[in-house]
Amino acid sequence: MILRLTLKRFKADRLRFVFMLIAIAAVIALVLVLEGFRAGIYQQIRHIITSRGADIIVSQAGISNMIASRSVLPQLSRQWVEEIEGVSRANPLTTLPVIYNHSNRRTPVFVIVYDTLGGPKQIAQGRGIEQSREIVIDKSLAVIYQLRVGDEFILSDYRFRIAGISENTAAFFAPFAFITYDDLLDLYFESDIVGDISTLPLLSFLLVEIRPGYSAAAVAGQIEKQIPEVDAWLPQTLAANDVDMSREMLGTVFQLMIVIAYVISVLVISMIMFSSIQNRVHELSVFKAMGFNRLRLARAVILETLILTLLSLPLASVFAWLMADLIETVAPVYLILSNQPELLLRTLVAALIFALLGAILSLRTVFRLDPAMAFRGS
Amino acid sequence: MIRWSIKSLFSEGPGLIASCTGVAFAFLLVLFFMAIFSGESDRITAYPKQVDADIWVMQKGVANMHMAMSQLWDWKEDRIRAIEGVASTESILYLNGVMNISGREWFSYIVGLRGRPEHTGPARMHSGKPVPARGEVVIPDVLARLSKLKIGDSIQIVDRAFRVVGLSSGTFSMANSIVFVSYDDLADIMSAQGSVSYILVWAKKGVDSKALVRAINNRLDKVNVLEQAQFIQNDHHLAMQMGVEIIALMTLIGSALALVIIAFTSYAIVSRKKRDLAIARAVGFRSRQIYLGVLVQALLLTIFGFILAALLSLLLFPLISLLAPEIALNLELAAILKLAASTLLVAVLAALWPAHQVARVDPVSVFHD
Repeated sequence: MILRLTLKRFKADRLRFVFMLIAIAAVIALVLVLEGFRAGIYQQIRHIITSRGADIIVSQAGISNMIASRSVLPQLSRQWVEEIEGVSRANPLTTLPVIYNHSNRRTPVFVIVYDTLGGPKQIAQGRGIEQSREIVIDKSLAVIYQLRVGDEFILSDYRFRIAGISENTAAFFAPFAFITYDDLLDLYFESDIVGDISTLPLLSFLLVEIRPGYSAAAVAGQIEKQIPEVDAWLPQTLAANDVDMSREMLGTVFQLMIVIAYVISVLVISMIMFSSIQNRVHELSVFKAMGFNRLRLARAVILETLILTLLSLPLASVFAWLMADLIETVAPVYLILSNQPELLLRTLVAALIFALLGAILSLRTVFRLDPAMAFRGS
Repeated sequence: MIRWSIKSLFSEGPGLIASCTGVAFAFLLVLFFMAIFSGESDRITAYPKQVDADIWVMQKGVANMHMAMSQLWDWKEDRIRAIEGVASTESILYLNGVMNISGREWFSYIVGLRGRPEHTGPARMHSGKPVPARGEVVIPDVLARLSKLKIGDSIQIVDRAFRVVGLSSGTFSMANSIVFVSYDDLADIMSAQGSVSYILVWAKKGVDSKALVRAINNRLDKVNVLEQAQFIQNDHHLAMQMGVEIIALMTLIGSALALVIIAFTSYAIVSRKKRDLAIARAVGFRSRQIYLGVLVQALLLTIFGFILAALLSLLLFPLISLLAPEIALNLELAAILKLAASTLLVAVLAALWPAHQVARVDPVSVFHD
């Protein structure tokens, strides 16, 4: 009965109802964005490794990460790996951390040097590398520095021409860029650091393709057994290692931010419910005068809160999507996965629990209502 | 009218507390984001600051340390030492790498120390010895605490096991803990014998650093020579620039949330006090005065929320750093003031919708009931 009256009240004061939905949706959207931010960081790391196209990734022995580690393989390792049964081809890959400096701004860039495999997969503008002195850069670099296909891109004094702008090629807060081996050698020579070239990395990883019918895990085992200088990883395992490391680094920070967002949710919901109760003090005191006990009134307030929270979720999802889109447009180095079903479900459950908490906080006012107020006029 | 708006705001009781705390936490989230980036940027420059060289020499094209890779032939240090005005030099080999401690991986700055360095080793020790020999490592005390490591335990860097011989202080960071090993060990790992990453130069008393930078540039090819202040500034700027967009966006999102909370509270008060407002209009209060009353409410809510956020940050941030030492939080006054300025805009915007409601209040409605 009380709930029916509440729903009628929503209908009568639509504007207020919409405002309540917007406020609750805004705080849930904040939680979704922060959760999506965290999920996006891990997804970017996973994607950058697993999308290189290898069945097995070979690294220097003892190196169990791809993004944050410096791996140096012996030059002959490619030949050794290709001699292992089941290996179709071992494609060289070098990773080079550089600082791109332009217009008084510096950005760390992971440069991937590739030959036959490992180049950019999704090119949003332009094309892949076809000529010397060409580079494909991540979209975030293009946005930050307002670069377009055909523009010059100077790395360590070496002039590249942007052939393409790639998508989904950023991870660990940094964009990636792609060049070929021909240009790596030219970069080392022409950038005037030739004197020290022997100290610079030439081969970091091998992207191994296996023959049909062979198991990647078995071939990886054989590589490790026969070549002690290297470690062989399934791409998803290597990606999981990098994700684990970033969890160690960022896990507590994200946890704290999400906790703050949930505290805001509880406060906002209790504020809304308090205001809603204040608006119906007379009505609720009439119920009390009519003999409705505390439990029935509490149940109605809690149910109202849960309904409001449930109804605000679609709106929260839209808000989160808009916020994520804004972040990804302004700073495409980030990926915000705020609308994943698993995340939405988890946030919905958490939001309902916190809404319950918010409703409970506002119940004190209901319990303290004097039934005599019903006879004093509104 | 202003007195009325203040009184009606305070009559909200628990609702006002919930609103203020909600606004405060929305701002706190923004301050937390700012403090994280600033704190990490400070920690990133902790090592160059404690080394306190006059000049840093590195590979051409490199101008900082964070996420950079620099390698030079070690004979360049001899050349620099021979330059007039140079009091002393030290060099380090440096690698951004991952350490494995009991199955957990930690991203670190691994510094290879040569000989018996005076400046490039850890500036402060918690315990143990500061300069590692072959097969030995000095790790940050915080890292040891987080990983439950003690002196004598082993960790793994790339494919080698190292024995912990010292715990250094002030060298831990979420993004780059500083770990010290011997030059020979790191050179082996990096296949970089005969090369160094950075050469650090101390000038003789009275020698101008700028002149010395020019002298080194004249004497050596393929190097970048920077004064300490510039080198540190480059690292700090790089770290802050990495977060500049996300800080701006989080400020926007946090402020928008605060705006919704303030607007809702003001709206709730206005809609509940419609009768009072109708009376006010009936007795001759002008719309402008009533708008001002609503704006004052929004301003007060914003100011209370902001002050509470600032107080909470002063209280909570040191506590967070104590409980979770991997998080460096540094709140700069400039950042607080910048946010304070944006909160005024939040207050004005939040007052718009309730003010619109006020404008629609019919003075005649007071005589209807």
